[in-house]
Amino acid sequence: MLKFLPYVRKNVLGHRVRSAMTVAGTALLLFLFLFVTAIQGGLDRVLSARDDRLVVFQAYRFCPSSSQLPVFYADAIRGVPGVKSVLPVKVVVNNCRASLDTVVFHGVDPKLLPAVRPNLALVAGDWAAFQARTDAALVGRRVAERRGLRPGQSFTVAGVTVQVAGVFASDGTGEENVIYTHLNLLSNPAAHHACHATLFEVQVDDPGQAQAVAAAIDAKVKEKFEVPTETKPQKAHYAAALADLLDLIGMTRWLGFVCVGVVVVLVANSVVMSAQDRVREHAVLQTLGFSGPRVFSLMLGESCLISLAGGVLGTAACVAFLLWRPMTLSTEGASIDFVATPGLVGSGLLLSLAVGFVAGAVPAWQAGRAEIVTSLR
Amino acid sequence: MPLVEIERLSKVYRKGSQEVPVLRDLDLTVDAGEFVALMGPSGSGKTTLLNLIAGIDRPTTGVIRVGGDDLAKLSRTKLAAWRARHVGYIFQLYNLIPVLTAFENVELPLLLLPLSRAERRKRVEVVLDAVGLLDRHDHYPRQLSGGQEQRVAIARAVVGDPTILVADEPTGDLDADTADATLALLKRLNDEMGKTLVMVTHDPHAAAAAKRLVRLEKGALVAGEPAAVRRRVMRN
Repeated sequence: MLKFLPYVRKNVLGHRVRSAMTVAGTALLLFLFLFVTAIQGGLDRVLSARDDRLVVFQAYRFCPSSSQLPVFYADAIRGVPGVKSVLPVKVVVNNCRASLDTVVFHGVDPKLLPAVRPNLALVAGDWAAFQARTDAALVGRRVAERRGLRPGQSFTVAGVTVQVAGVFASDGTGEENVIYTHLNLLSNPAAHHACHATLFEVQVDDPGQAQAVAAAIDAKVKEKFEVPTETKPQKAHYAAALADLLDLIGMTRWLGFVCVGVVVVLVANSVVMSAQDRVREHAVLQTLGFSGPRVFSLMLGESCLISLAGGVLGTAACVAFLLWRPMTLSTEGASIDFVATPGLVGSGLLLSLAVGFVAGAVPAWQAGRAEIVTSLR
Repeated sequence: MPLVEIERLSKVYRKGSQEVPVLRDLDLTVDAGEFVALMGPSGSGKTTLLNLIAGIDRPTTGVIRVGGDDLAKLSRTKLAAWRARHVGYIFQLYNLIPVLTAFENVELPLLLLPLSRAERRKRVEVVLDAVGLLDRHDHYPRQLSGGQEQRVAIARAVVGDPTILVADEPTGDLDADTADATLALLKRLNDEMGKTLVMVTHDPHAAAAAKRLVRLEKGALVAGEPAAVRRRVMRN
């Protein structure tokens, strides 16, 4: 088949304007489809968070700022059987609604952080500097890149002023969009007479028992402090936090399907035009001894080449765009990263090949089945 | 020895519910090494007969054997493979592939044969040299004259060393001088290389290049005579 490639390539290049327009259209639509897929992938990553983590949130509170749980509840929660560790977290966001550049502060006990977040790897700065100052902050890499933050810099967002002690990388879902700072800084104990957290992040011994442990935590807090809490697996918490966005992102999935449909029509139109222009040429090929299946595969090759060229361009453009402008959709502290993953690249290329195949199959089949004598006339 | 054996060959085309007989109970043999001209008025069935010999059309009834192969019994795919190996087809309008160079056009049928790239190159260069166009090997059809295009088409037809060459009015679209040159080339292929040639033509001058003339009228043979005899007849 390889020896026929020059023929396929020359036929595609021989109709430069038509091929270029089809490739450009395919690239644009693939770009849009992959961008939507990147959003979807980000959401999937958030909703596939680890099963061994629970989030204790104040019941009937629907915004991070309204959930106020005293930090000393942590001791009671630690006493619940099956709980491995408890991390009080104060969430402060600079925007309670959806935003493409939300800054999320997590106030934590600086001494506990290295133990409960062993996956944090500092790419700049050091832990000692973070623990030494109450207003020190460890900034997630994506936030640092978006905002141009470096160790030693001070900045103020959502009324919180911090100094960057380090920048970290993490494989945790959405974690590189978080800024860790001291719990005391965010919870303002002087104002509230006690240090308050927005939520407690609880790690359990056995993920299979997570639901039972969650119920036990709610019961214990209710019994001891008469405060209703709602403890959920972390992914369920994120799903609830992102509920408004789920519908929106669900809509974008349909938008992606429409893009694929339009690409199929676009490439099919180009292949049909090419096949109709070259009815005689295909008859000549058959006269020379090219079989119907061979003509079919040549036409299909052209279709796949055009589609793949568009796919490569569209995928490259989407990856370049996501690397150039890293984006995050956040709400209530849960973040959806738009990330160019190897899977995204692979799906873009595979999809473009599949589109080429689907779009070219019918015209290629017609070209391969055409009667030679009729076509020569 | 007959290369082409045709017995009681009929071909009927259907136009809707109407049947149009094109060839009726036709018998014909063509020996290996012959150069046969098929003549006749428009609609007499000469091109249909040529297409049947070339294996690009199928008879309605009757037998057509070329080189011992019964073409009606070959499947579509096997017939294509048979054409690749045994037939060189020369069209009136050349039918070169516009996006390919002269070299690539001539190489095209060789892609179907089990030949290495070097073997293909050598064969293409030999035939392009034979038709006097080796120096135009990288020209596209649009950069060639009609006569040159036809010579490339002839090179494409012979490059696979086919068993039989068929030509459908190969000079029909050429001026007189170019037509003469093309006919001389076809004669050389027949005389020097021993290629069997069947040519459809309207032109008595072109037919005179052949060794035998076969005349068709209304789908049936009406005469078959050696061209030398026919030339004498024309002179008288």
